[in-house]
Amino acid sequence: MVEARQHHRFLAAGGALVLLSAMLSLYAVLAGLGPRGLAVLTAPQPAMDGLRRIIVLHALLPRIAVALIAGAALGLAGALLQRVLRNPIADASTLGISAGAQLALVAATAFLPELGGLARETLALVGGLASVAIVLALGWRRGFEPTTLALAGLLIGLLCASAGAAIILFSGQYLTSMFLWGGGSLAQQSWEPAKTLALRLLIAAGLAALLQRPLAVLALGEAGARNLGLSVRGARFYTVLVAVALAGSVVSQVGMIGFVGLAAPNIARMLGARRAGALLVASPLIGSLLLSLTDGLVQATNAASGLGTPTGAVAALLGGPFLLFLLPRLPIYTMPQDDAPLTGAVARRPWRLVAGTAAVLLVILLCALAIGRDADGFELATGAAFSELLPWRWPRLVAAMAAGAMLAAAGALIQRMTGNPLASPEVLGISSAAGLGLSLTIVLVPGAAWWLQGLACAAGAALGLLILLAIARHFELTANRMLLGGIALAAFSGAILTVILARGGLESFAILAWLTGSTQQVTPELAVAGALTTAVLLLPLPLFARWLQILPLGDAASASLGIAIASAKTRLVIVASLLTGGATLFVGPVSFVGLMAPHLARMLGLRSAGAHLTGSVLVGALLLATADWLSRLMFFPYQMPVGLFASLIGGPYLIWTLVKNRSR
Amino acid sequence: MSPPALSRRRLIALGVAGLIASPARATEITAAAIDWAMLETALAMHIPVVAGAELLLYRKFVIEPALPPEIADLGLRGTINFEVLSRAAPGLILSSPWYTRLEPNLRRIAPVLSMRIHERGRDPYEAAEAAAFELGRRFGREAAAEGLVRETREQLSATASALAARPRSPLFVITIGDPRHFRVFGTDSMVGTVLKRLGLVNAWERQTSYSVQAPVDIVTLADNPDAAIVILAPVPDDARRVLPESEIWRNLPAVRAGRVMVIDPVNHFGGLPAARRLARLLGAALSEGAPGLG
Repeated sequence: MVEARQHHRFLAAGGALVLLSAMLSLYAVLAGLGPRGLAVLTAPQPAMDGLRRIIVLHALLPRIAVALIAGAALGLAGALLQRVLRNPIADASTLGISAGAQLALVAATAFLPELGGLARETLALVGGLASVAIVLALGWRRGFEPTTLALAGLLIGLLCASAGAAIILFSGQYLTSMFLWGGGSLAQQSWEPAKTLALRLLIAAGLAALLQRPLAVLALGEAGARNLGLSVRGARFYTVLVAVALAGSVVSQVGMIGFVGLAAPNIARMLGARRAGALLVASPLIGSLLLSLTDGLVQATNAASGLGTPTGAVAALLGGPFLLFLLPRLPIYTMPQDDAPLTGAVARRPWRLVAGTAAVLLVILLCALAIGRDADGFELATGAAFSELLPWRWPRLVAAMAAGAMLAAAGALIQRMTGNPLASPEVLGISSAAGLGLSLTIVLVPGAAWWLQGLACAAGAALGLLILLAIARHFELTANRMLLGGIALAAFSGAILTVILARGGLESFAILAWLTGSTQQVTPELAVAGALTTAVLLLPLPLFARWLQILPLGDAASASLGIAIASAKTRLVIVASLLTGGATLFVGPVSFVGLMAPHLARMLGLRSAGAHLTGSVLVGALLLATADWLSRLMFFPYQMPVGLFASLIGGPYLIWTLVKNRSR
Repeated sequence: MSPPALSRRRLIALGVAGLIASPARATEITAAAIDWAMLETALAMHIPVVAGAELLLYRKFVIEPALPPEIADLGLRGTINFEVLSRAAPGLILSSPWYTRLEPNLRRIAPVLSMRIHERGRDPYEAAEAAAFELGRRFGREAAAEGLVRETREQLSATASALAARPRSPLFVITIGDPRHFRVFGTDSMVGTVLKRLGLVNAWERQTSYSVQAPVDIVTLADNPDAAIVILAPVPDDARRVLPESEIWRNLPAVRAGRVMVIDPVNHFGGLPAARRLARLLGAALSEGAPGLG
């Protein structure tokens, strides 16, 4: 009975939203038609109605269609990806499709402008498919095992995003279109994108119908599926391919609209769609409604303000809080545990390995202090030159190491706590919230002093932490809920950032410089403060060693071993957030290190909680110190921000290790 | 062949760049510029500038005043190369409030002059004049500052009177982001204030935020049927290809009437030299015509 009544309420709410969406679309069209209304179309007066007619027919109507179709395509793609990866936070961006597409566009615009023959859409599609092909190739040997696939996708995505941001940064303000494209604008000039997308959606929907049964069987787990005679590898491969083609075409036609693909299947599941069939039908419908509703609101506000705020960014804006709101209604479903065995060796003498890492760090440190470059080439600074350069070199190096250590520790905590290989400090949304605080200050208080900017950063991070804790406290702290909450927070902050960046003003450059993570602004005092913060935050970590040893075994096992899971996890979240916030304050949101360092430490063979944590911290410091040094040398006198550089050197190594481990 | 490292470094440190340019001013303080508007203003006043940020892009998109050959490139504006800056040893660093994050480190090298030209609720042209006067005071070049201000005013009023005789339509001044979006300059931007001083009407009457213009849907270019469209280069290649085929673009009143002009790049966040360049390019385009799109 209660369930039935709830069902009615959902239906009523859904109906109201559909109605609202339709009214917004109607409003946009009527506004486009002007005072003569439909007569513009039926009995046009050539002198005055020509342009109005063309705008309605070639811009407004196709825009409505594209919103509906793209929303459906993203919803379907998200449902397929989440189902096959068994990961509620998987979507086109997790597989690197969007980032690959954007990188192809940015690179072509910057380096090969004469590549005129190839349309922007084709380039984006090729880029998206290329990056996903690498991801699939990495997942091939292990039968597209979910965690490997998701991790590889995330790596490729971060790599592409780094390279793309670097190109934008180096080309200056003349790549405004890249910010627009990143925001996902739905403005249309013809029916072509709508037609293209509709055709691709139809084909994909047919294929998805064929995949419905294999997907249902896959949910039984790998062994069960094989017993039922299913080619697990084949089913996964084709599902991913269909989803990629769908998401890739949306990305190429209208740009990145991230949150719809992530939110629609989750909302569908919260509404009760559990079986593969129901999910595959509900997700596109919800996605469609979500995007057209968003676009209706965007059009209405843009018409009033004369601005062209990109719809994709606003979708994330609306989607973030919505997901937070739905979080308590999320059914407590457990992701089927990944039964693939952990690969790689366990070191017999882990602490000797830790000492070795520390030694390498020391060598890098000395190199970074002594070796530099000037107008005439590389130079080894000695004597007077060394003491002249030292005051410029040590503060940034210390800040880089401090940030690397803090992010790596945060990453190790979160990964051990959630058991999700995708979890990184970035997923907590703390860095994005800090960035939001900074950006709002830069926009609202032009020329804000550096200390005010730092304060705003800290306030943003603190607010992000409070929201995260509220989520954690309010609902049971299941890993899935917390990750979703963090992602919603990150998406919300990121969306506002995209809107600000799309304006392409001078403030965009101040924000972009911070966003990519840089050590330039670090003064000796700030460096010392960073080192002290790191020491204070890292010292209590050994106290958590027992929790971190046991928590990866799962909640049930941990509880039976006498751990108060909720309070333990809350404390770990607070420490991880403080670490992330600290690193963000000193060098900006360098997210990749927090993901990578714990993985690298584990691959070295450091498995016990204490050794793993120590190793992660050292590897994190090593990574960022190396990145900082090389970023100073590579493009002298131009310097790539250290955050970008870290992902460019760390990503390939991690991928190589993944491949190596698999071939054993 | 380049001279050996040390002597070259010492030469720059001694400010020989300034020496060569004008031997009489051997003791003059040198400048380094983070902000392009300050850089172009300083160069126009013949202040010896030993270092500037993002000079590769400056040569491409700001173009004038030309850079002195010995000037050192400081790299990206957001991530200044402090090692290069400290070796260039400027007497004063020219910045703007967008780079306050770097200021504590900049001050370790030399005093910082941070001037705001593009600011909400302030005429950027007047702010640019104020910046020129302030530079004149700081570098003892009051005469050069007055000269720059006077010459710029004269050029603007000369262009204005040359254009006064011709029929004028309101102007949309835009840069093209991609085939679907453009950025438009409002009355409160440097472009808008130059239009006003040339006696021209800005077709974009809606709100913008000081110098910056939001990305706008190309459809809004239809709002003013009498307007002409001035596009600041560079125009992205795909826009050149796609726009002429677009039904909407072809039916815009300005496009149908052939009132579309593409002019060379102008630093739209610039100072007086940028205003002068824009006035010259606009004047030439409006009196002699300029190529359209495609």
